[in-house]
Amino acid sequence: MHIHQYEKLWLGMSLLLIVGFIATITYGAVGVGVTMVDDSGGNVNPNALDEHPEFSDPGVEQVGENEYEAHVVARQFIFQPDPIVVPANSTVTFYVTSADVIHGFSVVGTNANTMVIPGEVSEVTVEVNEAGEYGLICHEYCGSGHHTMEGILRVVPEGEYNSSDGGEQ
Amino acid sequence: MSRGVPAVEDEEEVAEGEQSVSAPVTQEEPERKLTHEEFDPKGTLALILTYFAVLAVMWVFMYFVEFLGNDLIVVG
Amino acid sequence: MSVEQETFVDRYPQEAELVRRAFLVAFTALGLGALFGIIQALHRTNVLRFIPSTDYYTVLTAHGVLMVIVFTIFYLVGLYQWAITRSLDRSPTNINFTRAWLTLMTVGSALTGITILLGFVDQVGISADVLFTFYAPLQAHPLFYTGLVVFIIGTWLAGVDWFRTWLHWKQDNPDERIPLQTFMVLTSMIMWYVATIGVAVATLFFLLPWSLGFIETVNPLLTRTLFWFFGHPVVYFWLLPAYMLWYTVLPKLAGGRLFSDPLARVVFVLFVLLSTPVGIHHQYVDPGIAEGFKFIAMTNTMFLLLPSLLTAFTVVASMEHGARQRGGEGLFGWLTVLPWRDPAFTGMALAGLMFAAGGFSGMINAGMNINYLIHNTIWVPGHFHLTVGTAVALTFMAGTYWLWPQLTNRRIYSRPIGLLQVVMWFGGMALMSNSMHVAGLYGVPRRTAEPEYAGFDFNTAFGSISELNIQLAVGGTLLFVSTLLFLGNLGLSMGNPKVEGLGQSLPEPLSGASDSPRVLDNMKLWAGIALLLVALAYVLPLGAIIQNGGLFGMGGDAYPVSVLGAFDGLDAVRELLGVVR
Ligand code: HEM
Ligand SMILES: [Cu+2]
Ligand SMILES: [Cu+2]
Repeated sequence: MHIHQYEKLWLGMSLLLIVGFIATITYGAVGVGVTMVDDSGGNVNPNALDEHPEFSDPGVEQVGENEYEAHVVARQFIFQPDPIVVPANSTVTFYVTSADVIHGFSVVGTNANTMVIPGEVSEVTVEVNEAGEYGLICHEYCGSGHHTMEGILRVVPEGEYNSSDGGEQ
Repeated sequence: MSRGVPAVEDEEEVAEGEQSVSAPVTQEEPERKLTHEEFDPKGTLALILTYFAVLAVMWVFMYFVEFLGNDLIVVG
Repeated sequence: MSVEQETFVDRYPQEAELVRRAFLVAFTALGLGALFGIIQALHRTNVLRFIPSTDYYTVLTAHGVLMVIVFTIFYLVGLYQWAITRSLDRSPTNINFTRAWLTLMTVGSALTGITILLGFVDQVGISADVLFTFYAPLQAHPLFYTGLVVFIIGTWLAGVDWFRTWLHWKQDNPDERIPLQTFMVLTSMIMWYVATIGVAVATLFFLLPWSLGFIETVNPLLTRTLFWFFGHPVVYFWLLPAYMLWYTVLPKLAGGRLFSDPLARVVFVLFVLLSTPVGIHHQYVDPGIAEGFKFIAMTNTMFLLLPSLLTAFTVVASMEHGARQRGGEGLFGWLTVLPWRDPAFTGMALAGLMFAAGGFSGMINAGMNINYLIHNTIWVPGHFHLTVGTAVALTFMAGTYWLWPQLTNRRIYSRPIGLLQVVMWFGGMALMSNSMHVAGLYGVPRRTAEPEYAGFDFNTAFGSISELNIQLAVGGTLLFVSTLLFLGNLGLSMGNPKVEGLGQSLPEPLSGASDSPRVLDNMKLWAGIALLLVALAYVLPLGAIIQNGGLFGMGGDAYPVSVLGAFDGLDAVRELLGVVR
């Protein structure tokens, strides 16, 4: 099998490109610390969310000095709670699950983006900086009202955050 | 005998039989015949190296500027 | 008239008729799909909305299924039937068997297609607005899944037919290498058999019995994972017939010869091996799948770039060879002597160019963590309208300009219209796909009737959403017009008189099959390794999904997309089957 030398060169460069891509992604994972949504959120029965210790009353709670957990339920065609309110300059972990069909959970224009699958809990931790407001959308088709499924993620200044309302302002 | 690999001798007669279908321009007898040994795809190499450069630059831009420069990086 | 001047239809009239029949179904689907495409393009950009937004998802399901299941796969079986017949110079062992599988495929597609379209008629109460991915627990009418199963069985039998033809040929030609086109057909089908295991298990064991009420629940992550087990290799099933045209027909159109036959074989073998153990790359942001499995899928996916990068070189080199033979000079000057006035050539060349661009957005899609940036945004349709929507679709249309005369003995109605058509597709897609990519980076989602929201606006770095919308709508309109020109040109060709001498032969590669190791032709070996790799990639993730979430899920209801109809219809089916509730 004789392969032209230019073709051999291109084969080498293609492999270089591939290895370069894998290296960049590994750097993102190990160096920058970007992690993927995985199986750490565990499983729940979508028909028994009202008996679940957290998802029965979805909302935000403080779990550490600057750490918050937001339990969010996606269902046709809303997010609960809405808005989701968190303080600025904090670390927030979202636990998102679905009460019915597959949905998406996307904080628009950011990297916070996950699928929401009934039976599974998506766990996503992000660092939130300044105060502001983000749009939240369901980005997976979930039925005829899919295009109306939206919410708000509100980041309020630390002083204004009132933990007692659990994010439900 | 398989027709998938037409014997080389056929080439001469093929030309006159292949009148226009959608593509009369391609049916002319080639000006010259180049074998594998005589042919160095220099132009191809130049094009594909350009493509390589574009890919590398765009990748770096997309990964480091668009992605890592974006809000709310997922860290856990 | 010598043998070489015969057309395919002269030599194989019955086979040519079947190829035409497959193409007819393909192009019907293309026409309908394009109609739905323009409706989407105008609706979601709010340029023109004449259907209720709830019907958008019926349109979208139809567009997806008609384009990527019916159009692509019917074109594939037509092309492959032509290719295997001509390259082995042999009829199918039993042409009635060939007719049978084509009929099965057609009946299956008709069932599924009609079930989808009934979604427009509320009174009927049958609907399948589940999009072409049919994620449970959204539930389509059982006929939707039934049609799909029938269709897939048809494709399996097509593979049986082609393998049988080849084995008989081999008995008569024990020492010959497999002709290149036959090699491509056989390797594609091995890949297809491996790939369809996923969707067959999902529909036969879970979704169909569930839609009929035999089982109460399914595990949505499991059926979704099984779908993507199939969903990635299917994209190569669309692509490989286009590759066949690029490798075996495009060099001829360019006036040259294929640069390397051995490399073409290596490329197809790589697709057999690598195209299935990567499906999890569609699930990078799914819960319930460990990061390690995602990383493995990512590395496999990256190596799957290799055969396409090699193809780029070989195909361009074959064009350059043609150009040099035609007297082309200079580092880039040879490009000017290529037959740009030939729609078959220009269409394929432009399709290849768009594939290079689509290759880039595909590399981003493959990049695991960068998936957070673009997952389920309209960037993704932007990507695959370059790949399947252009590299494949435009190559198929261009290939038709070349092949159709040999299937009918009639010339194409108009070459200038053909040329306009392929250029218009290219321009329209450049606009539509560009706007989709950019909007996706701003976070605009795919699969939605109204990507404008009450509570917030999209932030754009440059340009504005309305500019992008106009670009998308104009691009979509050009594509629709281009499709009409294609179908019209082909239809009018049937009014041309039958003539003789339209036969075309394909030139021999510069470096022929004899230069490649014989092991490449060992189909059993490649099938075995492919299955092994699939097992390695999927046994653990599937095991974990079943262990954590249960074979039939954690509980949860079914959500029939048409509540009214699903229940009526179901009761009828249950009665028919005598199932007591
Ligand atoms: C007339 C030309 C076409 C137009 C105007 C068009 C337009 C569109 C638009 C606007 C979408 C996005 C809809 C959304 O996500 O809300 C879409 C989706 C899609 N298109 Fe096309 N398209 C065309 C041709 C094609 C072709 C040739 C193919 C494949 C062979 C194709 C395959 C798809 C697929 C698979 C989807 C995704 C469906 C889904 O998300 O379920 N399209 N098309
Ligand atoms: Cu939704
Ligand atoms: Cu894929």
